[in-house]
Amino acid sequence: MDALLHFLPQVWFVILGLFLFLYVMLDGFDLGVGILSLTSSDEERRSLLMTSLGNVWDANETWLVVMGGALFGAFPLAYATILSALYIPIFMMIFGLIFRAVAFEFREHSNRKLVWNIAFGAGSFLAALGQGFVLGSVIEGISVDEAGHFIGSTWDWLDWRSLLVALTLIQGYVLIGSTYLILKTEGELQKTHFRTAKLAAVTTLIGAILITIATPVFYETARIRLFSPPLLYIFAVIPLLGLLLVWLLLRSLNREEERTPFIWTILIFLLTFIGLGLVVFPYIIPTQITIYQAAAAPSALVFMIIFVGFLIPIMLFYNIYQYVVFRGKVAGSAYGD
Amino acid sequence: MVEILSNTVALSRMQFALTAIFHMLWPVLTTGMAIYLVIVEGLWLKTRNPDYYHHARFWSKLYVLNFGIGVASGLPMEFQFGTNWAPFSEAVGDFFGSILGFEGAMAFMLEAGFLGIMLFGWGRVHPVIHYLATIMVAFGANLSTFWILVANSWLQSPSGGEMVNGKFVVNDYFQAILNPFMVKSVSHMFFATLETSLFVIGGISAWYILNQRHQAFFERSLKIVLAAAIVVAPLQIYIGHLSAEQVYHYQPTKLAAMEAKWETSPAGQPADWSLLALPDESGEKNQWEITIPNALGYILEFKPNLSESVLGLKEWTPSDRPRMVGLIYYSFRLMSGIGFFLAGLMLWSVLQWILGNLASEKSIDKNGCYAPGFLLLPWATSLLKPVGLYAVWVGNPGHSMDKFARLMPLPISQRVTSSLL
Ligand code: HDD
Ligand code: HEM
Ligand code: HEM
Repeated sequence: MDALLHFLPQVWFVILGLFLFLYVMLDGFDLGVGILSLTSSDEERRSLLMTSLGNVWDANETWLVVMGGALFGAFPLAYATILSALYIPIFMMIFGLIFRAVAFEFREHSNRKLVWNIAFGAGSFLAALGQGFVLGSVIEGISVDEAGHFIGSTWDWLDWRSLLVALTLIQGYVLIGSTYLILKTEGELQKTHFRTAKLAAVTTLIGAILITIATPVFYETARIRLFSPPLLYIFAVIPLLGLLLVWLLLRSLNREEERTPFIWTILIFLLTFIGLGLVVFPYIIPTQITIYQAAAAPSALVFMIIFVGFLIPIMLFYNIYQYVVFRGKVAGSAYGD
Repeated sequence: MVEILSNTVALSRMQFALTAIFHMLWPVLTTGMAIYLVIVEGLWLKTRNPDYYHHARFWSKLYVLNFGIGVASGLPMEFQFGTNWAPFSEAVGDFFGSILGFEGAMAFMLEAGFLGIMLFGWGRVHPVIHYLATIMVAFGANLSTFWILVANSWLQSPSGGEMVNGKFVVNDYFQAILNPFMVKSVSHMFFATLETSLFVIGGISAWYILNQRHQAFFERSLKIVLAAAIVVAPLQIYIGHLSAEQVYHYQPTKLAAMEAKWETSPAGQPADWSLLALPDESGEKNQWEITIPNALGYILEFKPNLSESVLGLKEWTPSDRPRMVGLIYYSFRLMSGIGFFLAGLMLWSVLQWILGNLASEKSIDKNGCYAPGFLLLPWATSLLKPVGLYAVWVGNPGHSMDKFARLMPLPISQRVTSSLL
């Protein structure tokens, strides 16, 4: 029974990590493309950018909804505390996503495209910014009492470190968005995104280095954990692997390869994610409440594994199928008869 | 006013009410419309009549516009339980949260995963695969109705567990899912989405016909809608009746407010049913009312005498009564009024159909006017129906802002336990 009490929350930690990773990777390029659309001056290019996402953005965004529901069910305390502590950045994200979602459907039919262009670009930016603040604040830690209830103040989430995380995340999204567009477009447009990808790769790298340095310097708990074995070895390896991947990415961009930049970027995201997961584990509300304290009753976790667990391969299957159907370069109108 | 602005509970209630009411508008249009899309695409596959293909394309454009707003307004719904109602989420997360999780993984993802193929996959996939995608979208949409109403009906009649230290611990998930309100609430909502979508499609069709644009095309959709409404409209009245019955058995306070009933009617006797009234909360009476003698027994049990007493609001102390009885009373009447109006409209139109007045070739008179305009006008007005639904939601016994106002601040534990007892 005791083993079960440990095992089930760990399983759910991993499942939530998977949902979050899928979300950040997939909606990451949607948001990145949205942010890139802000730099576009002509209508045709913007149309093409939005068309490249038209069929997938909703499924991608839904990973966030799935993640939210699963967090609510598996770790009710964490859902309650984190969301109420981060009310403002969460709603920043939600407002951004609202503008973006509506822009997708209404721009196509509208004569005044300007409004929807702004909604799309600024919405994507706002959503990414909100997510960055949420991420930054969660890594930094949320002040709670012994029962895990939030006791901090409304503006706790805003400081230079969470801002740094937010800006880096935005760069990361621009990077994955650019590499996605390299995959989906051709000609002049593709050339532009080789350039944006290179730029974003460099700025993301700088951000990541700053965060990596700042984390052990400013957080005692993180320092103690990171600098003692076995995590020490893992944390020695992750930055090295990261640098290797960035080098591979830049090389593929210089060679103007079409597919590999996207793959290297995904691997960079994955590596970052594993690193973050290891820093946070076993906490779900860093740095005080562990997954064991916040977990729902074992019966709830088992019940959810039965219902949600068997759906994971099915969800993955039809999502992949959708990408296969729409593989290849984008062209022309979305609805194409 | 300033007081309200510094009261987080009041503000949160307003936020929840506003987002829920707004969100509600769109799923009722999309979930039913998805079924309609399945029907027309199926007809196309079967008959290969290009008209049906064009119907599928035309209505799916409308579908996706509604869908976009539905998704956008659904996002705050998903997260505001945590941002605004943290103690509530912590207390009922084991059940309520899991159900929202299932809804995401089972319903939203299914709908979203096949939406792209349904909208943009024409010509890219085999028609049968495309049809399968349309079916999956409709199935996903309606699964989300199912799960969200499971969650909601459980809040109405919590079962399958008990409160332990302020947290609801589930002993039996299947009992909790199959709570006493589940079947009827899910059915009532399912038919509400279907009926709303059908009548909006019918209304838009009627509007085009009245304006003499693409009459033959829209005549077809009007007829499909009409054929479906023959079943849906009466059934919804019946299920609405069953919903009222479960409220009568499980939530007598709510029934009393829905009926603006102050005095108890004892068992074994007939009782009047109020058609219209002006409830006066401070005076604990109705200022005036129009009643139908002895009708309550027929409505609740199909016989003149009540077998159980029907409690009046005075049985509870004022603090335990719902506030804004008038709002609850009238929104309930508005909802059933709409239900009867739509059933009547359906009957009248079917009659005209049988008489042959619905065929456009025949009914264009010498002046080029579409003759049964008198008939189509009400259909065009049924476009206003979503507005009515708004009202239903604002005032629905339990969805009035007031009900939220009353219930939210109570520690949820207290509420859940008291309804368990
Ligand atoms: C999950 C979202 C959700 C949805 C779709 C609905 N509700 Fe709701 N309802 C809630 C979420 C909620 C809630 C936030 O969870 C409430 C507010 C306070 C509470 O304790 O539960 C609630 C309370 C609540 C109450 C008071 C609880 C009680 O009587 O003890 C009633 C009567 C209703 N609702 C009725 C409805 C009806 C008729 C709906 C029709 C579709 C509906 N709700 C949809
Ligand atoms: C508080 C209750 C509710 C919550 C938390 C909620 C949550 C959500 C969320 C997060 C989305 C977006 C999903 C996506 O990204 O694809 C959504 C959309 C949707 N919701 Fe709700 N919802 C609630 C109430 C309802 C109700 C009562 C119904 C059915 C009658 C419903 C049916 C739908 C449908 C069908 C969609 C898909 C979008 C669309 O077709 O318009 N929801 N909801
Ligand atoms: C004569 C017809 C009708 C009657 C007697 C009726 C009765 C009821 C009752 C008693 C409830 C409250 C259930 C509860 O609180 O648990 C309810 C809920 C509701 N009704 Fe109706 N209704 C009728 C027609 C309609 C129509 C035509 C619509 C919309 C198309 C509709 C939409 C709704 C909705 C959205 C709810 C809330 C969902 C639920 O709790 O199931 N109703 N109805």
